[in-house]
Amino acid sequence: MSRFDAIVIGGGINGLVAAAVLGRRGRSVCLLERSDRLGGMAGADGAYPRMAHLLYNLGPLVRKDIGLGARDWPFRTVALPTVALNPGGAHVRIDGAEARFVDGRPHPDAAAYRALVTRLGGYGALLRRLAEAPPPGGDAAWTDPAALKQMLRLGGFGRALRQMGKAEMRGFLKVLLSNAYDLILDELPDGPLAGALAADAVRGLAMGPRSPGTVFSLVYRHGHGGTVSLPVGGMAAVVAALAEAARAAGATIRTGTAAARLLCEGDRVIGVETGAGEVLMASRVLSSAAPLATARMAGLDRFDIEASRRMRLIRARGTVAKINLRLSALPRIDGLPDDLLGARLLLAPSAEAVETAFNPAKYRQMSDEPILEALLPGVTDPAQDAGGAVALSIIAQYAPSDLAGGWTDAARDRLLAAVVARLSTVAPDLPALVAGAEVLCPDRIEAETGAPGGHWHHAELGLDQLLTIRPANGLGHYAMGLAGLYLCGAATHPGGDVMGLSGRNAALAALGDGP
Amino acid sequence: MSVVTDPKTGLIDGPVHDRLAALSRARGWYGWAGYAAPSVLDTVEFEYFALRNQCALFDISPMHKYRLTGPDASAVLNRLVTRDVTRIRPGRVGYAVWCDEEGMVIDDGTLFRLGAQDWRLCCQEPMLTWLIEAAWGFDAEVRDESDTLAGLALQGPTAFAVLEAAGWDVAALRPFDHAGLGEVMISRTGFTGDLGYEIWMPWAEATAVWDRLWAAGGPWGLRAIGYAALNIARIEAGFLTAGVDFQPVHATERLHRGKTPYELGLGRMVDMTKGHFNGRRALAKARPRSLLMRVDVEGFKPAQGALVYHRKRREVGHVTSGVWSPTAKRNIALAHVALPWATRTPPDLWAEIYTLEEGRWDTRMARLTPVEGAFFAPQRARATPPGHT
Repeated sequence: MSRFDAIVIGGGINGLVAAAVLGRRGRSVCLLERSDRLGGMAGADGAYPRMAHLLYNLGPLVRKDIGLGARDWPFRTVALPTVALNPGGAHVRIDGAEARFVDGRPHPDAAAYRALVTRLGGYGALLRRLAEAPPPGGDAAWTDPAALKQMLRLGGFGRALRQMGKAEMRGFLKVLLSNAYDLILDELPDGPLAGALAADAVRGLAMGPRSPGTVFSLVYRHGHGGTVSLPVGGMAAVVAALAEAARAAGATIRTGTAAARLLCEGDRVIGVETGAGEVLMASRVLSSAAPLATARMAGLDRFDIEASRRMRLIRARGTVAKINLRLSALPRIDGLPDDLLGARLLLAPSAEAVETAFNPAKYRQMSDEPILEALLPGVTDPAQDAGGAVALSIIAQYAPSDLAGGWTDAARDRLLAAVVARLSTVAPDLPALVAGAEVLCPDRIEAETGAPGGHWHHAELGLDQLLTIRPANGLGHYAMGLAGLYLCGAATHPGGDVMGLSGRNAALAALGDGP
Repeated sequence: MSVVTDPKTGLIDGPVHDRLAALSRARGWYGWAGYAAPSVLDTVEFEYFALRNQCALFDISPMHKYRLTGPDASAVLNRLVTRDVTRIRPGRVGYAVWCDEEGMVIDDGTLFRLGAQDWRLCCQEPMLTWLIEAAWGFDAEVRDESDTLAGLALQGPTAFAVLEAAGWDVAALRPFDHAGLGEVMISRTGFTGDLGYEIWMPWAEATAVWDRLWAAGGPWGLRAIGYAALNIARIEAGFLTAGVDFQPVHATERLHRGKTPYELGLGRMVDMTKGHFNGRRALAKARPRSLLMRVDVEGFKPAQGALVYHRKRREVGHVTSGVWSPTAKRNIALAHVALPWATRTPPDLWAEIYTLEEGRWDTRMARLTPVEGAFFAPQRARATPPGHT
């Protein structure tokens, strides 16, 4: 029997960050990962990306709190331009707020795009104040130092809101809860540029750009700069850096060790029993497993009926399939200069096309013309090509987790064929180059990572599951009711993407610390 | 979660409606969970005195009844209610109360332990979805027996004699025992605080059971009664009615209308040592805001609905149930009184009673005197074997 101050369940990004933060604050930590590989959805086979393939929002705040210094990560990142592919037309290159045609010609909507993205960035900066801290509210008396800090922060949010100016603030509050489709098409004609924004607004979500709340998710993404970067050495380098930070902070990391049961005494958690029957004692347990799975490890009877109902009803319908192709040679994309082959390639020809792709998902069908985010990581970082072949990493949407008939081999083949066919509209030689394919449908993603429904963000980023009510009402402050037990996965606030903030915030909550 | 009656359907007949309708001289029906139930059949006075001096038959079939079975049935119930159900042995009935996550009472009711893994819950409020929710993830089955299981309450000093005359031997049943006797199950339970039994049977058997009791009951003064008479008796016994003496929290729409068991004087029903149950964490932190008091009201005007004042000045609560008790010969009431005024000595509490006498409204302040225990708790209710009168 070993004893620790804290045990972290799950060695994904958030689990590793939580372990590092706790370790840095002088706590002895043991992290348990049931698979043999760390990283969860960011985990990689060697340098080759498996699920997540790019970094959006990994924040400097996390870096600082896990002791990696304020300057940079121990891995290099390369900011990638985005190319909005336009089958049969001119592709658009996007660098931050700047858009132009890939051949260098100015884009007629560049000014409108810049204005819109700048606006979104402004909103995002505002929301970031909320994202980086634990969500507001909670039980603490207002005289409590943490509560005071929180009030100041909320006051800061209000002040920042006011400083936007009346018109901007009105605009912000007006669009925040509405749909991305209307917001985008108010400013831009429909086309690849609008499609790129629409696709970014709904990636991983069971929503189309016309669904209410998608402005929020779009702002969320742009709030952190909206820049997309490729870690050199792949996601493996990111995971290794986080694991190294956790180890350097004194954390014990054990892979291949599943947590089977939470041990409790009275109304507190006192430890974890592993799948092999080993008992590890700790006064705090942080779980990046799904909330319901975590509750079941302790026994549902330790939670209120309302709490177990909310956990059961957390919306987590995955819509993303990850497709990893091995190609015999670099594909040629019509109209795309070779130097842009390494860009983030978005195949979402219009906002309308994104919504149309979503339609079948409402009825448990896959998209016939899926929306794709494709990446040839080896162009930028040759180490990421898979064993001599060219790696093509694709996030395909919509591939609903509850597909009618289930994700059979035939269904997987159909999805693969649809994705390849879709890509061949811009890269006609692609089908002939495919030397191997791995199709990770939501069921596989769930089986491998434990994310319910294989959901890209572990729980839908819907307006009913954000901030104080992420992942559900009563669970918004990382604590689960049972004393000493905390949630630290991406299902908690702020959640989503590869951010690490959930793990950091949960660790701080477990330490009884304010932000 | 009150029952809404479809206006097109109207009230529907209960299992012994034919018998009740034939006896109903007053034709006073009210809706109880969608069924036509008698508020009074003859006169309240006749019915009340039959209940206290002879015995009375009252149809309780509209109660909600749920069956919980399976290996985890006890675990589910222990998660649900505030008391430790494992202490209720098979063959026994236990009163229980259950709360939401904030520690506010959802409803109260009786738990019948029919077997090691077999339970029945009888309560006033519809509870099916809540029970299904409580049982989710557990190896237990919830079945709604509300429309398949009928119940007749036979209450009063000659209740035992009537059952004996009808051929059912319940001499060995102690209070809160139950036993199967052929087609029926009989429990020594009731809502009157007196000697009494509840007879449970399949819906279709209810009329035959009614007739059998009716035939045996003549010499023992058996009378059918409506709710108005029963209500006097239950106030005398100090029992609470959901929706009257407390607001079932699932049925409230306004904030803070719920009450904790402590506030309802049911603290003894809360077992903080049995492990987690719904609302336990909230109850551990809860400080009572008010207290449901039993009070003796000065004068003879029932204080139902009266506001309660401290020193005749500060409004500190209200009377939820108030009635002249013919048996206790006192003007009795149940009242919610805010703390700390509920526990001050001397209490100095007053009810402001409105009276209407032949077109003239008046108001008077009546002193309230707190009473410990039930207003009426006869020895005969506890004797085993019980007496015949």
